[in-house]
Amino acid sequence: MLLRLQGISKRFGREWVIRNLSFALERGETVALVGPNGSGKTTLLRLMAGLLKPTRGRVEREGRALFLPNPPAFHRHLTAREHLLYDLAFHGREGDWQGALRRFGLPEEVPLAAFSSGMKKRLALVRLTLLAPDVWLLDEPETALDGEGRALLIGILREARRSAGVVLATHDRALASEVADRTLVLGGV
Amino acid sequence: MRAPRVGKAVQAPGRDGEGMGAVRRIWLLAWRDLRLEVRDRAGLLSVLAFFSVMLFIMALALGPEEEPLRRAAPGVLWVALAFGSTLLSTRAFALEVEDGTLDDLLLTPGGKEWIYFGKLLFQMFLLLPLSLLALLMAAGLFYLPLDRLLPLFLTLLLGVLGYTSVATFYAGLLARLRGREVLLPLLLFSLVVPVVLAAVRATLGLVEGLPLEEVQNWWQLLLVFDVVYLTASALLFPVVLEG
Amino acid sequence: MLKTAQPERPDTLTWVFLGLGLLLLPVGLYLALAAPPDVNQGYLARIMYLHVPGAWLGYLAFFVTFLYSLLYLFRQNPRYDRVALASAEIGLVFMGLALVTGMLWARPTWGVYWTWEPRLTTTAILFAVYVGYFLLRGAIEDPELRAKAAAAVGILGFINVPISYMSVKWWRSLHQTQSIDLTTGKIHMDPAMLQALLFNLLVFTLLYLGFVRFRALLAVLEARREEA
Repeated sequence: MLLRLQGISKRFGREWVIRNLSFALERGETVALVGPNGSGKTTLLRLMAGLLKPTRGRVEREGRALFLPNPPAFHRHLTAREHLLYDLAFHGREGDWQGALRRFGLPEEVPLAAFSSGMKKRLALVRLTLLAPDVWLLDEPETALDGEGRALLIGILREARRSAGVVLATHDRALASEVADRTLVLGGV
Repeated sequence: MRAPRVGKAVQAPGRDGEGMGAVRRIWLLAWRDLRLEVRDRAGLLSVLAFFSVMLFIMALALGPEEEPLRRAAPGVLWVALAFGSTLLSTRAFALEVEDGTLDDLLLTPGGKEWIYFGKLLFQMFLLLPLSLLALLMAAGLFYLPLDRLLPLFLTLLLGVLGYTSVATFYAGLLARLRGREVLLPLLLFSLVVPVVLAAVRATLGLVEGLPLEEVQNWWQLLLVFDVVYLTASALLFPVVLEG
Repeated sequence: MLKTAQPERPDTLTWVFLGLGLLLLPVGLYLALAAPPDVNQGYLARIMYLHVPGAWLGYLAFFVTFLYSLLYLFRQNPRYDRVALASAEIGLVFMGLALVTGMLWARPTWGVYWTWEPRLTTTAILFAVYVGYFLLRGAIEDPELRAKAAAAVGILGFINVPISYMSVKWWRSLHQTQSIDLTTGKIHMDPAMLQALLFNLLVFTLLYLGFVRFRALLAVLEARREEA
C-alpha cells in the first residue's frame, strides 16, 4: 500500500471541500481523478502529498510523494540545467538530466523566464522522471502540452506505473481512459 | 557566478536528511538563493540605497561635531542594520512564494530543519557584506575608529547571527501571509532587543578602547542568545511549516 | 480546561472563581487601604497592592501561554490553543495594569514616568511581544496555521524573558528591590502589609482563573461559529 486515505474531510473556512473520502493506491496503479471545477481535485492531491492536513481523517503514505501543480512552479532566474541539478541534490538523487532534457526537446542553458507554458510543463515532467517518486500526484498534466508533448506524457506515465503509483486530476477523458486503471469521481457542489 | 558542483550523492533513500547530505543541501540551498537574489537585482539594490541614505541622514542630523558622532556611531550602526535587514529578511521565503516553489522544498525527503539552516545561511550571505559596508560607512561618516577590526568583525558576526536566527524563523512563519512586510519587524524587534543592546555595547566598548575582557561579557551574552534562538528556531521550524 | 462534551455555558468552577474573585475584590481593597503606610514612601506604597499582583499574574499568564503553546505544538489539540489565547489576553490586561500603576508610582518616587530599568524594560518588551501575538492571530485566517504561528510566538517570546532581563540589567541598572525575595525566602515587610498583599494576590489569582476559563469558553463558541 503506497497511499491510504481514511475518511478524510477538508474544510476551508466554512466551506467543506471534501467530505468523508476514503481511498487507497497500490504500487503499479494509475488512478484518474475527475470532476468539475471546484470539486476539490487539487485539494485532494495536496492532501495526498501532505502539503495540506485533513480537517478530519487520516492520510498514510509510504515512500516519497511529489506533487506537480498546474501551472508548474519554477525559479524563473535559473536555467533548466541549474534547476534540475539543484532539485536532484535537494532530493539526494542522481539522474541523466541531459538525456531527459534532450528527449523532451528542451534547451539546457536558457533561463526559465523565457520558457513557454508548454515548455515548463515538459520540464516539470522531466523533473518528475528524474526524481522518480513513489507516488506521482499530477494536477491536469495534459494542459499546455502539444500533440508531441502529450505523447511524451503518456509515455512517462506508462513507465511510472511500473515502479510507482500515479494519481492524475484531469478533464481529458481520452487521456484518463488511455492511462488510468480506474477513475475516482469527485462530485460537484 | 559559477555553478557549484553537484557531485555524487550516494545516500540511502529516506535517510538523506542526516550527516554530510544535510550539510551539502544547506550549502547548496543558500548558494542557490544567493544566485537568485543576485540575478533578480532589484531587491538588493534598493536595500543598499535605503541603507546608505539612512546612515547619511543620521550623520547629518547628529553632526557635525566629531565627538557626538563617534559616540552615536555604534547605536546608529546597529539600528540601521536592524532596519535594513528586515527588508532583506522577508526575501528568504519571498523567493519561494513568488515563484510558487515552496511546496517543492517542503516535499524534499528527510526533516525540514535543513531548509531553516539553508535560508539562515543565505541571510548571512546577504547580511554580512551589508554589515561590513555599514561598518565602513560608519567609519567614514561617524568617525568610528577601525583599529580593532578583528574584534569588530566578531561582534558583527555574533550580532548578525542572532538577528538572522530569529528573522529567518519568522520569515518562514509569515511566508504565505499578505501583511508579512509589516508584521515581521513588529514581531522581530521585540525579540532582538537583547541582540541590539549587547551588540551596541560591545561595539561601543571596542570604540572607546575598553580592555577586551570587559567586552567579552557582551560577546558571551550574544553567544547565549545565538545558541538559544538557533536551537529553539530549528526545533520549531519544521512543526510550524508542515501542512 | 474544557471537558469533552463542549459546554454551552460556563461550568460551576468558572462561576466559583469569578464569583469569589469579584466578591473578595472590595475586601482586598479595604485591606489595602487599612494597611499601615510605608515608613519611607507613605501612602504612595499602597499602589503596590495593585502593582505587584498585576505583574505577578501577568507573568504567570504568559507562562501559562508558553506552556499551552508547547502543548499545542506537540498534541495539536485546539483546546490547548484556546487556553493559550485566553491566558495571553488576560495576561495582557494584568500586565497593562502593572505597567500603568508602575508608572504612576515612578513619577512621584523617581521623578519620571519611565526609566530604562531592567524589570521595567523586560516587562515592556514582553508586553510588545504579546501585542504582536494578537496582531499575528488577527492576520491569519486558517485556524490551524493561526494556532501554530501563535504558539511559536508565545514560546519564543517567553524564552526571551531571561535574556532580555540580563541584557538590560547589564546595560543599565534603579528599581525598588523586590519585597519578597524568592531566592532567600526573606520577607521585608510589615505583617499587616504582607497580609493585604497576599490577600490581593489571591483575589487576582481567582479572577485570573475565572477569566481564563470564561475566555476559553468564548473561544470555543467563536470557533464553532467559524465552522458552522
